[in-house]
Amino acid sequence: MPELYLRLLNRILTPVLLLLALFLLVRGHNLPGGGFIAGLMAAAAFELQILSRGHQRVRRAIGPYLNSGIGLGLAVAICSGIFGLMEGHFFQGKWFEMNMPLLGHVEFGSPILFDLGVFLVVVSFATSYLLGLSRISDGAAFRSEDVDLPPAPDDARPNFSVETDQSSKESAS
Amino acid sequence: MALSANLLAVPVAAPLLTAALILLLAQWGGRRLIRQQIVLTTLALCLNLGVALLLFLATAGQGQRFVLQMGAWTAPFGITVYCDGLSATLLLLTALVSIAVYPFAVATIDYHRERMGFHPLYLFLLMGVNGAFLAGDLFNLYVFFEVLLMASFVLLTVGAQPAQTNSGIRYVVLNLLASTVFLVAAGVAYGTLGTLNMAQIAERLSVASPAVQTLLAGLLLVGFGSKAAIFPLFFWLPASYHTPPPAVTALFGGLLTKVGVYTLFRSFTLFFPDLLVEWRPTLLTIAGATMLVGALGALAQPSIRRLLSFHIISHVGFMLMGLAVALSGNRLAIGFGLGAAVLYLCHHMIVKTALIMAGGAVELHMGSDRLASIGGLVSRQPYLAFFFFLAAISLAGVPPFSGFVSKLSLLQITLDGRHWLVSGVSVFASLLTMINMMRLWRESFWGDYKRPSRVPSRILQSSLRQRLMLTPIAALVLLSLGLGVFGEPAFRLSMRVALQALDRKAYIEAVSPAESFSQPLPIRAAPHTSVGPFPEEADLLDRGRLIVDHAR
Repeated sequence: MPELYLRLLNRILTPVLLLLALFLLVRGHNLPGGGFIAGLMAAAAFELQILSRGHQRVRRAIGPYLNSGIGLGLAVAICSGIFGLMEGHFFQGKWFEMNMPLLGHVEFGSPILFDLGVFLVVVSFATSYLLGLSRISDGAAFRSEDVDLPPAPDDARPNFSVETDQSSKESAS
Repeated sequence: MALSANLLAVPVAAPLLTAALILLLAQWGGRRLIRQQIVLTTLALCLNLGVALLLFLATAGQGQRFVLQMGAWTAPFGITVYCDGLSATLLLLTALVSIAVYPFAVATIDYHRERMGFHPLYLFLLMGVNGAFLAGDLFNLYVFFEVLLMASFVLLTVGAQPAQTNSGIRYVVLNLLASTVFLVAAGVAYGTLGTLNMAQIAERLSVASPAVQTLLAGLLLVGFGSKAAIFPLFFWLPASYHTPPPAVTALFGGLLTKVGVYTLFRSFTLFFPDLLVEWRPTLLTIAGATMLVGALGALAQPSIRRLLSFHIISHVGFMLMGLAVALSGNRLAIGFGLGAAVLYLCHHMIVKTALIMAGGAVELHMGSDRLASIGGLVSRQPYLAFFFFLAAISLAGVPPFSGFVSKLSLLQITLDGRHWLVSGVSVFASLLTMINMMRLWRESFWGDYKRPSRVPSRILQSSLRQRLMLTPIAALVLLSLGLGVFGEPAFRLSMRVALQALDRKAYIEAVSPAESFSQPLPIRAAPHTSVGPFPEEADLLDRGRLIVDHAR
């Protein structure tokens, strides 16, 4: 059972981390930040969830989407390049400007799509990797404490395809 | 025919996008979904082949060059994608090999591996290989090397047999060492020349000190050479190629070392044309040793796939020999050696893939590929025996096939340059190839039918699967026959490719890294900041020279 303060910390920190990730994501085109860092930050939030609530719960909640997240992220990133074809070059930035209520003058362009794609890939990959790691370490902990629990399956290695497959089975049951 | 340079993005983007779609749509498990994956992958492979064919016709056929500056960022700053005849030839061959191996893979790969993502991995590997052929700067070349290394590593180890994991680790460690050497070379290039753009490196190397040139050339020779499996650096290849399923070996044998060979061709013709003359004895020695070691080592291998994969090394030696004499003055034609090497590369990629697939079919039928324990397959599989035989004699260099034309032209140029020893070695290596091939054919097809495993081969019971396996082998063998019969037009095309690759000035002009200094950059400057005047090209060249002087 995770410690109380960890759960408390989780309550406070997870929204902060996710908001920070969002901030880094939208900030990142011309300033430090961007999809990669934001993705890692969001994955850190998920890792906090894994630590405080146990990996089974996290896997049940988001496991089935991780694989598709990688695919979706890659697809979005490439599509942002195809967007640039309208300007004449692959991956050329296409920019829209508009005046919005409250926010004022806003520009956004296809680079944010690329960042979003990178974000999705990084967060999905890193989270599925962390889930895999935590399952292995769980198995190791069981073995070292000689608790009579089922050992980790043979294919307990950080492979996302196995992860989501298992988790979809779990969520189905 | 005016093609848009944006077409250059397709060989990288199409496989990546398709793999992404597969990851997005696949809910791992169902056989119906795997059929969808197969359909999507086939579409991507066909698209890739079509684009590669268009690019080949425009570059090798009409002498055009394509440059795509990603996102309209001009050359030394942005990502440059470059395609000339040499790149397009390799793109076309890669497309051919990948589309030929794919039906074989579909017929033979087991369900477990398909579920673990075999099809998207296939596309990732294709993307990495294509990207390496198109990269216009050293860093992107490195990135695509890593992409293809990772994709091939997972393809090697997926399935997680102990032998596979063992060989996969050896493969990835040795290749990462090579990548590190290459990365050091890129660092040296950036530190001394101030650029990673290949055109700009070529431009600035001509004013750089010979020490920088030698260091860079040595590092690149070691880095690319070990990717290409040249003589002292080939150990990763025989350690790993025989463990994955035959379809994966066929794909690797067709594609992987050829990326190293291409980068050797590209870097030596573009960066170090002087060293190509100066280092000729060294390069010829390496080439001769590679040929000999590959052929002799293959002679000692006990099984089909080990033999065939060891034999790849010997062929790399032939290509390196062609590169070494690329710039020699001779009575035949300028660039004759490189033209012959390009033709040899085409011949090798086609025939070797066919042969490894045929060997894989034998292995799947017999349940083992140990030469000592199999035999007599000719009575059960006459077509397979026929095409195996044709591919084998094509590899050995028997006249109506492509092997003859390419080996003859290589022999012509080395004899003309009075490199007696290496030409003798190449003839001897061809003889050893012949012996190897005859040994393979005799042991696996001739004699009484003997099959070590009692278990009937499930894969070969379905006639559809058999057809899926045989058709690509037959198609590749016929292609080799066509290359041999129409040897003269094929050779003329490869000569044109070679001349285009040797024309450094045109490469630099096509990428035109210098222009970017005089033109305003497409930076989206905020209204309150002003973009200052850009330094003239001469200033920057001076600065480059200063850096170089400093390094001296």
